[in-house]
Amino acid sequence: MPYKLFDVSKPIPERKEHTYVKHCNDPEDCIPKCNSKTIPGSMTERGCAFAGAKGVITGAIKDVAHVVHSPIGCTMYGYGSKRYPTTTELPDGSEFPVKDFNIKYIIGTDLQESDVVFGGMKKLRQAVRETNKEFPFVNAIYLYATCTTGLIGDDMDAAAKEMEEEIGKPVIAFNAPGFAGSTQSKGHQIGNDTLFAKIVGTTEPPATTPYDINFIGEYNIDGDLWLLKEYFNEIGINILSTFTGDCCHNELGWMHRAKLSVVRCQRSSTYIAKMIEEKYGVPYIKTDFFSTEYCAENLRTVAKFFGLEDKAEEVIAKRMAKVGPELDFYREKLTGKKVFIFSGGPKSYHLSIPLHNELGLETTGVSSMFEHEDGFEKMKDRVKEGALVIDDPNTLELEELIEDYDIDLILGGVKEKYLVHKLGIPSLLIHSYENGPYMGFEGFLNLARDMYSAIYNPVWNILEFQETEDPDVADVTGEAAEEVEK
Amino acid sequence: MSCVNLIEKERNAIINPLKTCQPLGAMYAVTGIRRAVPLVHGSQGCSTFVRYSLSRHFREPSEIAVTSLHEDAAVFGGRRNLIEGLQNVAIRLNPSLIGVITTCSSEIIGDDIIGFIKTAKKELTEKIGEEKTEKIKIVPISTPSFVETHLKGYDNAVKALVDHVAEPSEPNGKVNIIPGMVNPGDIREIKHILGLMDIESIVLTDISDPFDSPLRPSATELKPYYPKGGTTVEEIVDSANSTGTISLTKYAGSGAVSLEKKYNVPAELGPIPIGVQNTDQFLRNLKKLTGQDVTDDILDERGLLIDSMADLSSRYLHNRTVAIYGDPEITAGIARFVGELGMVPQLVLTGASNKTFVEDIEKVAKETGVEIDTMVGGDLRQMEVYLKDNPVDILIGSSDGRLIAKEAEIPLVRVGFPVYDRVGYHRHPIVGYNGGIHLIDLITNTVLENYYEHQHWKLQQ
Repeated sequence: MPYKLFDVSKPIPERKEHTYVKHCNDPEDCIPKCNSKTIPGSMTERGCAFAGAKGVITGAIKDVAHVVHSPIGCTMYGYGSKRYPTTTELPDGSEFPVKDFNIKYIIGTDLQESDVVFGGMKKLRQAVRETNKEFPFVNAIYLYATCTTGLIGDDMDAAAKEMEEEIGKPVIAFNAPGFAGSTQSKGHQIGNDTLFAKIVGTTEPPATTPYDINFIGEYNIDGDLWLLKEYFNEIGINILSTFTGDCCHNELGWMHRAKLSVVRCQRSSTYIAKMIEEKYGVPYIKTDFFSTEYCAENLRTVAKFFGLEDKAEEVIAKRMAKVGPELDFYREKLTGKKVFIFSGGPKSYHLSIPLHNELGLETTGVSSMFEHEDGFEKMKDRVKEGALVIDDPNTLELEELIEDYDIDLILGGVKEKYLVHKLGIPSLLIHSYENGPYMGFEGFLNLARDMYSAIYNPVWNILEFQETEDPDVADVTGEAAEEVEK
Repeated sequence: MSCVNLIEKERNAIINPLKTCQPLGAMYAVTGIRRAVPLVHGSQGCSTFVRYSLSRHFREPSEIAVTSLHEDAAVFGGRRNLIEGLQNVAIRLNPSLIGVITTCSSEIIGDDIIGFIKTAKKELTEKIGEEKTEKIKIVPISTPSFVETHLKGYDNAVKALVDHVAEPSEPNGKVNIIPGMVNPGDIREIKHILGLMDIESIVLTDISDPFDSPLRPSATELKPYYPKGGTTVEEIVDSANSTGTISLTKYAGSGAVSLEKKYNVPAELGPIPIGVQNTDQFLRNLKKLTGQDVTDDILDERGLLIDSMADLSSRYLHNRTVAIYGDPEITAGIARFVGELGMVPQLVLTGASNKTFVEDIEKVAKETGVEIDTMVGGDLRQMEVYLKDNPVDILIGSSDGRLIAKEAEIPLVRVGFPVYDRVGYHRHPIVGYNGGIHLIDLITNTVLENYYEHQHWKLQQ
């Protein structure tokens, strides 16, 4: 039987379809059920559509004011929670006045009971006016529907249209109330659709080159983008637009002028690449920049499109010379260690093979909060016989799998991290990293180092009180033992 | 002239809030109960964002279940979600208590929470039998997100808990303590004081262990994981029989008032024992309720704080200006304490709209002889703009002000919730005399580092 029902989920047998155990001879369509509603009463890792739209897609844009039309909670939770730093550089050579403006400010309508009864449109319009007055330098204002405004039926698009005319700059409504769809993935899609419909094709770039790409689905978590951008620049490839890490509003408008769309986060942003291809004929490729192997391979693919293969080889060789020897050290330390990847989505298939090939780790299993079928097919393809592939695991299942499986490290989020520690297992933040960036050559080295420091944290050797002293305790890295063997 | 100078926010929109919505306060309160599960009746964001917020502040698990409302529930109501959700939590997690916490969506949809709980219990009885079902207390907690703030959610939760769970029997000689939304270190300090006075207590609710629990796999309750500690359901039942209730906060004392009305348990509301005089008041309240003496041990601890103040205040802190922001009770408490330190509480700012806060600050203004700029129902942007023309020497508040502090080049002493960019702040008290000692050390070291270090010879004793 390729599916597994955790003991803790016996009262909800529907969960069985969501946990697949890899068997190499299974037919291709054998994957966990996914992208469907969570069973009520679960401690799920999943978030809401608003989180997907604001938290993932648009929150990284540097020159936009974000107005959340909500009771205060959604506004508060949309603030300062994501690590996507921005510079002040704008593509036309000018400077945006505030660094990390996207992290620094959030605006909300703070809806009250009377607004719920009488509607919040007036407040929303007023908030847009006030935002424009407070931050006159922003180049656009984005408005977000939430559960409350979705339920009371405030017409966000009408307000956006009206205010755009009044203030003379783009005002765009994102209709992704929290209850929409089964996961935050719905918010990603709405974010893509809205940005495509309202912005793409509306502006022209200050200059173009024959080597222009859209870098889509790269949000600059912990500076990932800045690292990858160096590689592209050195190869001679120009990132004309990034969707949406460290990008500006106008930049999204000229995505139709690129020669190629390079899709990084395939779950959250393939939508817009497809739409741009369909409408403007810009082809897209799906890529992967986690690990040296994937990074090199994908740099080659993108470079080949532009006939810049030689340059790519130079960049790859230079970086490998820099990180290779250190990676060798970590491979030696990490070989044979077992990881479980609790990711939001694509990292569960990006990481399993490189962690094995380049660092010698074994993947006990992978899971995802919001992946769809195509992502789960890749996850399944890239793990070994017997590995678990789980959709939307809940806390109890996490506990059981830690108890039943041999796991040395869990890659997960803040919600899992501290529980995993309580169970005596090291963990590492993979959604927004610990000491990132984690992408690219140097990034993979950061990831290797963080995994090493998590697994070899001396604390795991002194976890419990011992009645008699253990002579090996002081030897936390195992190096002394190796010396003896020599 | 000593008075309060109220500064109005000149806009309606909130920019960088100093408050969040009610459900967080309720989830916090339910987490303080032994083997209890908060079940949020709303969208997944309502649980996930809160788990994230609590986990990053306490660096602890925050296990919260959700009924996962989607479009169909928005149209047809969340009946099945709640009924199924309750049963799943009950059967899979075998909790002592489930707090059913509403949200904006479930309140707007108008779900009949009480009715759904009845149905869920009936269905549950068929599945696991009456005895097991009856063992699980299910408490409806109404926390509409569009009314007031997270503190109101906490208040509503504590009130709902005592209203649904407390039962009168024999007097127990204990004191109920409603701590407010404070840190584990604060609750431990309160329990330490009560211990020194030989007073037994029931903390409503006690997050001190659940949000600061030991990593001891061999001694940890698993599948489901429940953190150590927390107030037991039996204690909440027994809270109707206590000698009195002290709510450390005037802003969330409904539970205390309710116990007084229903069961004649006398209630004392606030002030939070931050600083010397507020802690003195707390001890007097304790003595009044229990007749227990304020012991020498406690007076020695008081003396240690006084000793620090004598040593440090005039030398390093005198006349230094402070801006304080955060929850009303804590902000008012710290304002009074910095006044006791000879500092100037130049600006106080809270996100809640509350008349009591202004009264508290008026009192501080009278004591200090300072005109205190006061923002009620304010936000952090308001403070940022204010500081451009009215700089202060020190900021005291949560991590959410860190970027403002950095840009304004004003050192920030972190207190309250959330603190995510430094460690240990949940563990150390700011209440009681020991909390005062911790605070004066924090403040003085910040002053030394920022205002003395450049003339390092002045740091030689």
